[in-house]
Amino acid sequence: MSKKLNRRDFIKSTTASTAGVATIASGISLTTFAVNDNPVTKEKRWGMLVDINQLSESDIDNMVNACQEENGWGNETHSTGHQKPSWIKKIKVKDRATGKIDSLPMMCQHCEQPPCVDVCPTNASMRREDGVVLVDKHLCIGCRYCMMACPYDARSFVHENLSNQKEHMPRGKGTVESCTLCVHRVDKGGVPACAEAVSGEGVIFGDLYDADSKINQTLKKIQSTQIRADLNLNTGVRYSGI
Amino acid sequence: MNRLLIILLALSYTSVFAYSGEGHINLGDKASELEDEGKSRDIHPSLSEIRKMHPEFLLHKRDKTLRQGVRTKRDSLKACVNCHSTSKDGEYIPVNAPDQFCSTCHQKVGVSLDCFSCHRTTPQEDL
Repeated sequence: MSKKLNRRDFIKSTTASTAGVATIASGISLTTFAVNDNPVTKEKRWGMLVDINQLSESDIDNMVNACQEENGWGNETHSTGHQKPSWIKKIKVKDRATGKIDSLPMMCQHCEQPPCVDVCPTNASMRREDGVVLVDKHLCIGCRYCMMACPYDARSFVHENLSNQKEHMPRGKGTVESCTLCVHRVDKGGVPACAEAVSGEGVIFGDLYDADSKINQTLKKIQSTQIRADLNLNTGVRYSGI
Repeated sequence: MNRLLIILLALSYTSVFAYSGEGHINLGDKASELEDEGKSRDIHPSLSEIRKMHPEFLLHKRDKTLRQGVRTKRDSLKACVNCHSTSKDGEYIPVNAPDQFCSTCHQKVGVSLDCFSCHRTTPQEDL
């Protein structure tokens, strides 16, 4: 090799090649990373309005089945009685004076001030900016304080090894779980499985803050209640007709 | 100077192409297809980076997904499993089973992970 490469030339050529590689690499990362990447904000608050008068017993059963189907719970073979998970259940309330019995679907009420989040020692129980209350199972140590704290008995504990979970709903032994308001659907613009299972307007899902949303407009018009409203938790799930 | 330069270039050449000849012994169905089509670099631009950094990527993504609702495919465990599962006799083999994609390396380096006590080990859609 006759021509000696001096220091200046070497630096020039390496800089040029590095710049070239960097340009190509940034092109690649731009194409691969540029997907919808927006975190949820507190400008929304997801909620649900359940109209008891429009729901028959079988409608509520359909809601429970739809939830099981969507999230893959209810097939636990080794759990017995109260150990069995129930993310949503049918409960009956009776007016002592008149003896009138109402059935209603009961699940996580997605409180604005959730007691389960207050008591969680690991910050696993948490509330998303848009009002959905979830369990971060990566952090959950299975202490079950949140199950004790919840006034609605909405949470369950997984007592056995599971397999073949749903792709969108990881579930495992030793962690607490509850209704997620089908957050995997909601994030993609869908509605929860239970709301979809009811035909008609028995269950309305939507953004409580959005003045144009159906749930907001209906709540302005009709009489609705929060269950255990005396606790001032400001629940996201509201009921009418009780 | 020339010798140094040659050594430097040789080193960078080997580090770039070190993995291209030697494939993973069990890459998974879709990942093998993509590799055959030459598209695997679109997904993992740097093989050494994904090999070294995938725990951090996954950890970062899990918090973004769960706590902020960002459900993009990049760095999601679901997307890993979708591409890197192998099928046999019309059924997917769990990705964490011995000698499958995840466990080949994890066995070798002696780490035991808890991803799959909760997460699904095969793609959702059946064959």
